[in-house]
Amino acid sequence: MNVILVGMNHRTAPLELRERLSFSCGDGLRPLEELLKAPAVREALYLSTCNRVEVLARAEHMEEAIARVKSFILRHGNLDAAELEKCLYVYCGSDAVRHLFRVASSLDSMVMGEPQILGQVKEAYRDCVEQKASGIILNKLLHHAFRTAKRVRTETAIAGNAVSVSFAAVEMAKKILGSLEGRTVLLVGAGEMSELAARHLLANGAGRIIVANRTYARAVQVAEEIHGIPVGFELLEEKLQEADIVISSTGAAGYILTPAMVQGALRRRKNRLLFLIDIAVPRDVDPDVGRIDNVYLFNIDDLQGVVDENVRNRLREAEKAEGIIGEEVLKFAEWYNTLEVVPTIVSLREKAESILHAELERSGSWLRALGEEDRKNVEILATQIINKILHDPVTGLKEESQSNGAMPYVAAIRKLFRLAPEEPREEQAEGVDRSVEEEGKRVRG
Amino acid sequence: MDALFFKASLAAYFLATAGYLVSIVARRVVMAKIATWVLGLAVALHAAHFLEMYAERGFNVAVNLFEAVSFFAWIVAGAYLAVQARTKTRVLGAIVAPFAVLLMMLASLGIEGTLAIPDALQGRLVPIHVTLSIIGEGLFALASLAGVMYCIQDRQIRRRRMGGLARYLPSLGDLDNINHMGLLWGFPLLTLGLIVGSVWAKTAWGGSNWAADPKTIWSFAVWCFYAFLLHQRLAIGWKGRKIAVLSIAALVVLISAFIGVNFLSSVHKFT
Repeated sequence: MNVILVGMNHRTAPLELRERLSFSCGDGLRPLEELLKAPAVREALYLSTCNRVEVLARAEHMEEAIARVKSFILRHGNLDAAELEKCLYVYCGSDAVRHLFRVASSLDSMVMGEPQILGQVKEAYRDCVEQKASGIILNKLLHHAFRTAKRVRTETAIAGNAVSVSFAAVEMAKKILGSLEGRTVLLVGAGEMSELAARHLLANGAGRIIVANRTYARAVQVAEEIHGIPVGFELLEEKLQEADIVISSTGAAGYILTPAMVQGALRRRKNRLLFLIDIAVPRDVDPDVGRIDNVYLFNIDDLQGVVDENVRNRLREAEKAEGIIGEEVLKFAEWYNTLEVVPTIVSLREKAESILHAELERSGSWLRALGEEDRKNVEILATQIINKILHDPVTGLKEESQSNGAMPYVAAIRKLFRLAPEEPREEQAEGVDRSVEEEGKRVRG
Repeated sequence: MDALFFKASLAAYFLATAGYLVSIVARRVVMAKIATWVLGLAVALHAAHFLEMYAERGFNVAVNLFEAVSFFAWIVAGAYLAVQARTKTRVLGAIVAPFAVLLMMLASLGIEGTLAIPDALQGRLVPIHVTLSIIGEGLFALASLAGVMYCIQDRQIRRRRMGGLARYLPSLGDLDNINHMGLLWGFPLLTLGLIVGSVWAKTAWGGSNWAADPKTIWSFAVWCFYAFLLHQRLAIGWKGRKIAVLSIAALVVLISAFIGVNFLSSVHKFT
């Protein structure tokens, strides 16, 4: 398979290096244009995110194309060759395909299963199409990658559960309260993590946010940012009664919420379930509060425990995902292999069909003497004979293509059937590309 | 009656139960969704069985204990399906389906029995009394089954076992809601059922509304128990675990009233 992938990611290269490369390529430079200048590179895709810089290409000559892409990266990254070699990975053929599929499926991401990467790959592909840098192979390959990513997402739980503390808080809230629609969130104190959690809760349907702070001015400030209602600490007990989810993160030395306070609030709220998240260190909520019926208290360690469990779960799911990717790589390789025989099959069919039409034309005079139905039947008969005769050689070619031994047969068929010599693929018009594509489907079908 | 639809529904209940069990083992909600569809099929087949009975002998859903148990199972499963369509608590079926299967197995012991309606059940009010009571008790049973799952989920969350089972089970809020709905709808129906029974008892036997028979007493106890639960829920504001635990206890009383006591009863002994 003449596909190569050269790149670096968060594991192989330090941020500083990735930064340099993505900046220099972002500044109005057109990386694809430059890459395609090399005759060895026929199609190219340039993917640059904060965690990776990768070039995917269909190469005419593998070695040359790899060297070319490397020198491209070298130039833009302002690096010396030795440093670069350490950071780069180079994949060829089905390894390149596998890597692309893993990237698109978010198996290669820093946070495995994060959904953004697929969008970024799609973005890169859009650029690639807009700049006409993609051809039949890359088009097929990228669409296959998107399909694979979709399969991985639906068939495994790799993106299923929260792997950050603030998302874990949302997940827990849903497990306890059910729907978050119209729920009230109370932030006690403010901090980056509690604000983030509050935002996630809002995004998941929570109705309103109350921000309580010891200094009212600060409460107002935070409330403004997240469209909340500011209150002073003196109203804390009262607001506790309204809240379904409480996130506490003050810098106080002692406990802010005591069992008595919570019990009182719970009585006034008729025992509606209450979810308390204490992410302060030292803790804000007396641990005894967690013993009260219908109150669920989670501290930062508990949430971290949920996250750890979810991460382990994702790793288990990743194994399943690798299996799916393996299958899809095989499928793509199968498609790719039939590619070398498909033009011949198309020509063969075209020739047969043109013979059929010519003969029907020639026999037009006596065919017209037949009734409408009989004329149709004759045409059907002739078409079926052609299909039956072509069936075995077509299947044979397809089978040979899977073991890379089809070329002699292709040559023989072209010679024996006097088919026109095969045109170089890249000069084929769009329309021919399509017919090749369709034929490929028919052959595989 | 060859009870073909009954047997088919029993098989479907079995299949649904198997589906739920697989979904628990594999921790896959998708499997529970499929099982829920199978349960829907079971309920539909079971309904066909009742229609067949209706065609044969008119409106009289339960002339003996086995038929009563079968109708009870149908109500529990059907009410669950209605509830899960709104709350999306597919996994609760993992308790409901086995419960229905157990009832159906019990019912299948005698479902092919006599078609003759006993003299004691000839009254026109009797089918209404039986139907309303069983629907009410079925809804109570569903409330209690939600309570069972609530207790399991509560335990998982409190012990911070968030990995497997807790992720798979429905949320506490939804389970508590189902408990609430079951109590709320079951109560007026059972109340009405008992009143109809009492009115009929008076006309049939004259004098008393109240025959001091074990079944009657137990049924009244069930009614009191669930009335207490509903009162605590609505007036006092009990929610969550406390109600869930009590619901389980109430279910035990309900089952004994429904099945066990029949063998002691005189006027309610139909087998």
